[in-house]
Amino acid sequence: MMTWRWAIRDLLRHPTRSALSLLGVAVAAALLLDMVMLSGGIERSFGELLRSRGYQLRISPLGTLPFDTEATLGDVTALTVALRRDPAVREVAPVLGSTMQGAHGAIAASLVTYGVTPTSQGIYTLESGRDLTATDTVGILLSVPAATRLGAAVGDTVSLRGRLDPQMANAGAERRVLVRGIVRFLYDAREQPSVAVALAAAQRLGGPDLTDRASVLMVRIDEASDLTAVTARLRAAHADVAVNSIDDLVAQFRLRLTYFRQLSLILGSISLVVTVLLVGTLLAITVNERSGEIATLRAIGVARMNIARQVLVQGLLLSVLGGAAGMVLGLGTARWLDAILTSFPGLPAAISFFVAEPAPLAIAAATLLLTGVLAGLPSAWRAASTPIAAALRSDAP
Amino acid sequence: MTIVLDARDLERRHALEGSEVTALRGVSLQVEEGEYVAIVGPSGSGKSTLLTLLGGLDLPSSGSVAILGASLSALPDRALTRLRLERIGFVFQRFHLLPVLTARENVELPMAEMGVAPDARRARAAELLAYVGLADRSGHRPTQLSGGEMQRVAIARALANRPAILLADEPTGELDAATGREILALFRRLHADGTTLVVVTHDERVTSEASRVVRMLDGRIVD
Repeated sequence: MMTWRWAIRDLLRHPTRSALSLLGVAVAAALLLDMVMLSGGIERSFGELLRSRGYQLRISPLGTLPFDTEATLGDVTALTVALRRDPAVREVAPVLGSTMQGAHGAIAASLVTYGVTPTSQGIYTLESGRDLTATDTVGILLSVPAATRLGAAVGDTVSLRGRLDPQMANAGAERRVLVRGIVRFLYDAREQPSVAVALAAAQRLGGPDLTDRASVLMVRIDEASDLTAVTARLRAAHADVAVNSIDDLVAQFRLRLTYFRQLSLILGSISLVVTVLLVGTLLAITVNERSGEIATLRAIGVARMNIARQVLVQGLLLSVLGGAAGMVLGLGTARWLDAILTSFPGLPAAISFFVAEPAPLAIAAATLLLTGVLAGLPSAWRAASTPIAAALRSDAP
Repeated sequence: MTIVLDARDLERRHALEGSEVTALRGVSLQVEEGEYVAIVGPSGSGKSTLLTLLGGLDLPSSGSVAILGASLSALPDRALTRLRLERIGFVFQRFHLLPVLTARENVELPMAEMGVAPDARRARAAELLAYVGLADRSGHRPTQLSGGEMQRVAIARALANRPAILLADEPTGELDAATGREILALFRRLHADGTTLVVVTHDERVTSEASRVVRMLDGRIVD
């Protein structure tokens, strides 16, 4: 039988009805696509972001995750030395995060300040100007939002005031620093004004409370080492701190995103139900309208199986065309929704909520097509069971 | 002569609004190869019901129908469907062409179901459309054809798989007199070419052309 050609022409027989049904399937497919991308996308994107600079482990105060609280690690110098004693550890990069006030001329702004070891850091990439050097204690690096807020550029001098007292609205230590470069902080939220200075400078500006302290230590280990074994070894050797691999952090993140996954599962399921209803309804109407044709086909010797296949192909065709349109629609809406969601405060701007990955998308597409076929089963069965003589008698084409 | 169709003691009862209606009462009919049989009778006499039983579109309440010795009642649905495809050609009063297919594709349909290769079925469809005088309308859809043209396409479709018998139910019923004459002329030609025909009709012109006339009344053959 000329099944596909026939199915296409049959859809074109009622163009408005078919177009509306296809639009409905496309919207449902777009929703399914977005939910599939959302369900695992942010988790994968977070993992990729953490891995982007090659530090496989994060060490933070016991019971916390990096930058999850204001708690800091003590005796960082000794801890760093101790960590480096492990034969698999190649690099240890301490980062101290705090809030300071920056001023440039008459402009002042609250800034997220990172104290880093410039030669081994994994939290920013240089955009313009130059990086800090190992001995540079008077240099500062600004993010674009920080530079914009302060109205500062490379070569300008700005004041940095630490030990902010929110109640007294005044600062403790103050230091004049020279803007060396503009950088992009990997974990910053969108429009977050951040700066980086040498760790020692940040500790001094923070006062005695931050002496020899850091928020997190980023640890790079030898690529050839067994990450699980190294993690276990470091945990055993440093039981007073939290040693987390990227997989551990992603797992924690996953726990916090349970809501997203549940939401995406529910909405994805709804989209499949909508597809079933749309395709099923259209095919039921079509089979009703075509009962005379179907009886004719049966009369001239077309097998029940081929009649059923004809109906199922039409359902499949609706799913394929609707799914293709839904793919375009879904990618467009994902980009739009991503822009909204990543602008939420506190979330790294580099994270994507919607990540298109081949395997989940292929599964979603296959599920959609299968749904289209399954939606056609009742109508296919009814078409194949058409009573020939009665349908021919009652049909007036 | 070969008996193409052998119907014996056919009865067909329907349930209608709680009571039973008997449409056929003990009808027997044999049709030999090459015969042109006209079944006539008033409305409600059971002639269309008889045709549906002869063609295996419905099964009798009792009695039997055999096509070239194959008992239709004994066949499973798949085999009965195959027998209709291979042995029986149908022509309906309302043509029943598929509107989304062209004339050629409608004629090709039974051959496609038989598994005939595309080239061969295209050639056979062209031959049949030429036979019924529609060689130049093969690319037209049913909505672009007149009633007479549609019926000729339906006849070409019925002949596609070279059936042993052609069953026609009021083939001129939807046509004007002139067009009806064209269709009857085509049947005459088919009969002359050796096709076995059973035609159910109100049209008295058919009775003058058929080799045998079977008259029905109240579900029985009366003549």
